[in-house]
Amino acid sequence: MELRPILSAMWRNRTGSVLVAMQIALTLAIVVNCMFMTKERVDFVNRPSGMDIENIVVADSVGFGSDYEHDRTIDEDLRLLRELPGVIAVSPTRSIPMSGSGSANGFAGSRDDDAPRHTANYYFVNEDILDALGVKLESGRAFRDTEVRRADDPDLDRLSPQVIITRALADKLFDGEPAVGRLMYDGLGESSEVVGVIEHMFGAWVSWSDFDQVAMFPRRTGGTQTRYLIRAEPGRRDALVPLVETTLSEANRTRLVRNVRTMEEVVSNSYEGDRAIATTLSVAVVLLLSVTGLGIVGLASFTVRQRTKQIGTRRAIGARKRDIIRYFLLENWLMTTIGIVIGTALTIGINYGLASAFEVEQLDYVFLVIGMFLLWLLGFLAVVAPARRAAKVSPAIATRTV
Amino acid sequence: MLDMQDISRVYRTDLVETHALRGLNLSVDAGEFVAVTGPSGSGKTTFLNIAGLLESATDGRYLLDGVDVNTLNDNQRSRIRNEKIGFIFQSFNLIPDLNIFDNVDVPLRYRGFGGKERRQRIEKALEQVGLAARMKHLPSQLSGGQQQRAAIARALAGNPGFLLADEPTGNLDSLMARQVMDLLEEINANGTTIVMVTHDPELARRAHRNVQLLDGQLASPDLFARPAAADDVDLQPVA
Repeated sequence: MELRPILSAMWRNRTGSVLVAMQIALTLAIVVNCMFMTKERVDFVNRPSGMDIENIVVADSVGFGSDYEHDRTIDEDLRLLRELPGVIAVSPTRSIPMSGSGSANGFAGSRDDDAPRHTANYYFVNEDILDALGVKLESGRAFRDTEVRRADDPDLDRLSPQVIITRALADKLFDGEPAVGRLMYDGLGESSEVVGVIEHMFGAWVSWSDFDQVAMFPRRTGGTQTRYLIRAEPGRRDALVPLVETTLSEANRTRLVRNVRTMEEVVSNSYEGDRAIATTLSVAVVLLLSVTGLGIVGLASFTVRQRTKQIGTRRAIGARKRDIIRYFLLENWLMTTIGIVIGTALTIGINYGLASAFEVEQLDYVFLVIGMFLLWLLGFLAVVAPARRAAKVSPAIATRTV
Repeated sequence: MLDMQDISRVYRTDLVETHALRGLNLSVDAGEFVAVTGPSGSGKTTFLNIAGLLESATDGRYLLDGVDVNTLNDNQRSRIRNEKIGFIFQSFNLIPDLNIFDNVDVPLRYRGFGGKERRQRIEKALEQVGLAARMKHLPSQLSGGQQQRAAIARALAGNPGFLLADEPTGNLDSLMARQVMDLLEEINANGTTIVMVTHDPELARRAHRNVQLLDGQLASPDLFARPAAADDVDLQPVA
């Protein structure tokens, strides 16, 4: 191995090498952190929601006519929607999970004034909500139709006597003890009995730290607005979208049916920013790698041109073509490795800074290894063409005086 | 040692054909010191390139140590250049970023010698040319004469049987040129065959034999001749 003379030559002619090594170091630091943040975004977007999002259709209904009757409209809508082909279950609701819009309240696991309160998204739903969302009941039972308060119920605005909550909320409220049969209290001291616990589901805000603390109450929404969660059999969702719109619109002219869309679209909108970040970071990684690759190609090409006579001399005194190729690959590998060593320290430093300033998680070192491998590969590929050009230099160049 | 028969070299472009060598016949025996002279464009450098396997003849037969070099592939030609031929160039062709030790080391690494043997050979070669004390110097820290001596050390380190010198004193003043020529004569006296291309008749006179090229052909096979190893014989032009 001719490492020492190569290092020695690089040191004596270091400006270009140092610049490219620094470029490699910065590229590694930025690429690794970008890849890590991209992966974090992707993992964030792909968190399991606990719901059958792919098969759910949502629709808004807004009454406007003077003869509009809310409960009667909901009764009729539910009947019509359940009769549509491919529909598994339907539930009215005030807001759509993961839509970025919803309501939250503080709840406690006991009546004590100093009992810790835990914020939870809450939804007003009917007895079919578990099937309508496709969530998994972990313990207890679903709501009964008799438990669902109608909009004209005089007690509508009081806390419903029953509630179904997520495991995450149950653990907070009752410290991991069985929740079914326990009472959950709101800020006014009213209580609901936990009749069921579902394994997991998302609330309204995907970026909220307590996104999986959800409570569902068996009641309708007052006023003139309601939304429907309609779950279809697999593969029948898309056909259902236009059908829901025409069916509801034609059934009742005293209200407006709008925003009939798939829940996938709703969720996709909520993650738009995260996807944009992931895409931007990925593009930045590709661009940065390209620029660095071109930088290496540029320096290697320049070096080959600058050393044409030297290469010819090496060939004249016995270097084979593969010796010349190996020389340039080795020289570039050394330069890349120096850049990678500096870049590794820089990567960890940047991650530490980001983790301190923006609560980014600590770097998964697999990304550092991937980044190192990528840059080594990039360095190798970038220098192959210039090295092959160098090997084609004729040994007769050695005797030329210019 | 070197036997060229009817060697031609033609450089072709889309528009012109240049005949650099036209049916050149030349033999050099082992131990000889031959000077090749001729005016600019006479084909001296082309001859040197072909003799040193730096390029191939378009036509003709060239035997080096009995081996027909036309039959060799690129790797085999590299190996012969490395093992059998030492090159001395007009502008020294030292690698500017390597010190003298590492410069002499370059062909030895291609030869595959181990570290210890390389060190011994390098030290011996540098001692032979009087540069043992300068082995850590960069070429830029040496005079022209010293650089050429370092280049000669690089050529000698592999113990080649055949030294090809291309205007070895062309970039040196007269004092340094004399020192380098003294060194070449000493090397030749130790048994190394030398073919030296030069345009300087004074230097050519110091060789055993002088062949002159003109328009790619041998103009005069033995312009100056003297018996090998007969340093004290006056040089006389051959009619």
